[in-house]
Amino acid sequence: MSLRYLARRLASAAITILLIVILNFVLFRMMPGSPERILLGRIPNVSGEVVAATRERWGLDKPLFPDQFVAYLAATAQGDLGFSYGARGRPVTDVLLQKLGPTLLLFGLGELIAIVLGLALGAYSGWRRGGVLDHLGNGLSLILYSTPYFLLGMALLLIFATGLGWFPTFGIDTVGRVYSGPLDQIADIGFHLALPLATVALGLVGQYSILMRSSIVETLSEDYITTARAKGLTEGRVLRTHAIPNALLPAVTLIAINLGYVVAGAITVEVVFNWPGLGTLTVDALSSRDFPVLQGVFLLLSVGVVLANLVADLTYGILDPRVRT
Amino acid sequence: MRSPLTRRVRPMLAAMLLLAPTLIMAGGAKAQDQLVLRVGTDQKLETLNPWQSITYADYEMFSIQYELLVSFDINLEPAPGFADSWSTSADSKTHTFHIREGMKWSDGEPATCEDARYTYQFVLDVLASDDGYVGSGYLEPYLSSAGLESVECDDAGNLIATTSYPTTLLTQAYVPILPEHIWSQYSQQEISDATAEGYFANEPPVVGSGPYHAVEWVPGESIRMERNPNYWGTPGVPDQIVFQTFESVDTMVQALRSGELDYVRGTGADQFDALATEPNIRVAEGYANGYTYLSFNTRATEDGYGGSTSALEDQAFRDALGYAIDRQTLVDRVLNGHGVPGTTHVPPYHVDWHVEPDNPRTFDLAEANRRLDAAGYARGDDGRRVDKDGKPIVLRLTWPDSEDHSADAQFIQGWFEQIGIGVDAAVTEEGALLELLPGPEYDDGYNADWDFYMWGWGGDPDPNSLLGLFTTDQIPQAVNDCFYSDPRYDELNTLQQQATDEATRKEYVDEMQQLFYDAACYHVLYYDSELHAMRTDKFTGWTNQPPDTGVPLFGFGYPGYMLLQDASAVPTEGPPTAAPTAGESPGTSPTPSAAPAGAGGGVDSTVLLVGALVVIAVVGGGFLLMRRRRPAEEEE
Repeated sequence: MSLRYLARRLASAAITILLIVILNFVLFRMMPGSPERILLGRIPNVSGEVVAATRERWGLDKPLFPDQFVAYLAATAQGDLGFSYGARGRPVTDVLLQKLGPTLLLFGLGELIAIVLGLALGAYSGWRRGGVLDHLGNGLSLILYSTPYFLLGMALLLIFATGLGWFPTFGIDTVGRVYSGPLDQIADIGFHLALPLATVALGLVGQYSILMRSSIVETLSEDYITTARAKGLTEGRVLRTHAIPNALLPAVTLIAINLGYVVAGAITVEVVFNWPGLGTLTVDALSSRDFPVLQGVFLLLSVGVVLANLVADLTYGILDPRVRT
Repeated sequence: MRSPLTRRVRPMLAAMLLLAPTLIMAGGAKAQDQLVLRVGTDQKLETLNPWQSITYADYEMFSIQYELLVSFDINLEPAPGFADSWSTSADSKTHTFHIREGMKWSDGEPATCEDARYTYQFVLDVLASDDGYVGSGYLEPYLSSAGLESVECDDAGNLIATTSYPTTLLTQAYVPILPEHIWSQYSQQEISDATAEGYFANEPPVVGSGPYHAVEWVPGESIRMERNPNYWGTPGVPDQIVFQTFESVDTMVQALRSGELDYVRGTGADQFDALATEPNIRVAEGYANGYTYLSFNTRATEDGYGGSTSALEDQAFRDALGYAIDRQTLVDRVLNGHGVPGTTHVPPYHVDWHVEPDNPRTFDLAEANRRLDAAGYARGDDGRRVDKDGKPIVLRLTWPDSEDHSADAQFIQGWFEQIGIGVDAAVTEEGALLELLPGPEYDDGYNADWDFYMWGWGGDPDPNSLLGLFTTDQIPQAVNDCFYSDPRYDELNTLQQQATDEATRKEYVDEMQQLFYDAACYHVLYYDSELHAMRTDKFTGWTNQPPDTGVPLFGFGYPGYMLLQDASAVPTEGPPTAAPTAGESPGTSPTPSAAPAGAGGGVDSTVLLVGALVVIAVVGGGFLLMRRRRPAEEEE
């Protein structure tokens, strides 16, 4: 991979992030309503002076440009995303960090399971195209792919939590439970994780399997596969060493893009299982017009996507010599 | 060469297969010796600093952890709190509170009159400061409206409070008594401003004097409380109380059904009806201490105001509109019956204070038409009425996006159309609406550019705060948003605040309700119910506060928690329906008498969802199989 290629990718990612930061500022200043009224709510006995003091306290009394804009850029660069209205003035960075872990756990694991299962299923379906597993697998993949998360999640919740009582309905752990050891605690979290994780994995598995299947099918008509077979390699060997590595390229793109969204999570899964992650936070920030938090979430999400794309580009460079320049 | 994919996949799959049953088994074996009361709420648990309280959930958190000077019992009557007895001088301006002897804070420090004095003096200092308020600004008015002037402790451990006028409101003051040895370390700024350096968030373990105190807090998510070992009264039965926030009410209700929660605050109307038929679950429908209203811009075309027609300024016009609102239909259709049609601005929750007006406006479109004709609003050629400036009347109706009033708006639009009044209905973002409402008295640049709008108010155990919203001096504060101004009302408000005899005060309060009703500045649409639900197989003794019209928890003070009993410890004598329990109280309770049609929605939705998924799977799968068959055959 040439240095020039690397430098170009990095520069373009940096510019994108800067543009996002600027867009973020503009977008949230265009929202209706004034933040200080939201801050104060409908407090009886609030005088104009108090409103003015609030504006000053939150820096809303200065002109949007350049004062507020410059202050915003400087603060963002230092990782200071302001204070959350909804969390009564806690720093947005704290709020985001608190929620980031659970989301990464849920979606990191969910992606991993979906990738492994999806790619394996897709590869096998494509390989045995027209077989029983292909029909079942492909049909199931399409159904799962097209089922909204909240529906899938609610169904799992109603069946396995409320109905059968096998799993808890909500949260990441049992609040107030005294653990006998770290293993006990991990087990409790795993127990709470099961249903949301199943929802995420099932929801994503279809995408990967469908993509991998068609990619394999395409690869199979390539000359080098015929050559491999002509060399007398076993079918399994042809699949593993010749078909799959070549068919993986589009999957890498999809994985990279999806990894970017890991941060955003599937908002609805988190809400259904009351999972204390960024998705739940986003819904709540939206409904309480917590603009600083929303702004932080947007920033985190878009930076995540940009970085994931950067990783995809770089991985491409390694995997496919044709894009190295 | 083996592919890297297979090399990694196999151990991972193996690990997952091995891990899964272990997790399920380990998680399933729950070892819980402690009796934990688990409470779900739709409101976020964002603060443990009482001065920052805004929501019902915030108030509940400090109500359990701290004593009020005088608390509330299950009937909402004054009850011993931080003080065990109290008396008032003959002129009702000097109030003596005897602080209970031998009390300790949860950290073992003595709890004395000094703590009460510190807390009240802190409020007085806040009121005298430049800011004039602390934190969210919700608690100080309890003392300022009582006219508190000074507090001191005498040698006998009594708190002596002096007020500038005679009052009984001090026993209603909803201000938690805080431990001086903790809070006096912080400045007003550090207590008030959450973004300030050194802000005091009152992190757990909270030092309090109430029956339970917070020991664990995940901001926005959950608060866990343990028994306060130094609580002065009989300890509560639950060893712990866990409060948990839910983003989705559906999930919260499912958690109650599965037994992971014992109590939920804020179910939706359909979930409530479904829960009513579930075994081991009891529902409680309480009068809300508040109301939903229509407010009119009564200074519509006055100088500096932005209303669309002068008709809004005419009491006769607004009065006539009141006959074109079918409040019962709104309750039935919008609230699924979980509410009471509205009349005056003191809701029936205040059993002792609410009065029905002498001349209620009952739904009668003919009467509305007759009154509009009589008031001189004739219909134009197109059937639309014109105002006295000759302009067709089309009123703009709005409401905040934080509440769903679109159904109410549609009904009102339909009725008003029939009396020749056009209505343009549209929702407004809450912050924008708050900006829109005030008139020029509030501040430069405000011009009340609206005609009429919907929202709600909530009150305290005492009707004082609800009454005080509509005095003339609240217009520049942007609280009195219909610009109601009547010197008699203002005078009565002062009189009722200072009345020390309940019968006399009731006369004033009655007259205020009638005056405000007659002015037709607000049309109170309905008093929507509080919908709560609880399990009866873990705890019994759920008692409404007040018994006839309230709900067991999220009331005032903490009596509901102290009456709970361990269901497994109660000798089984039929269904565990102890004396005055929730949801089945007779008389004025708006509780639905029987499960209405459409009940069982919880079960139905399960079946529906699963059924839908099966159907999708079968149809989708079959379709795919059929489509796939042909090319597959060709390939063979």
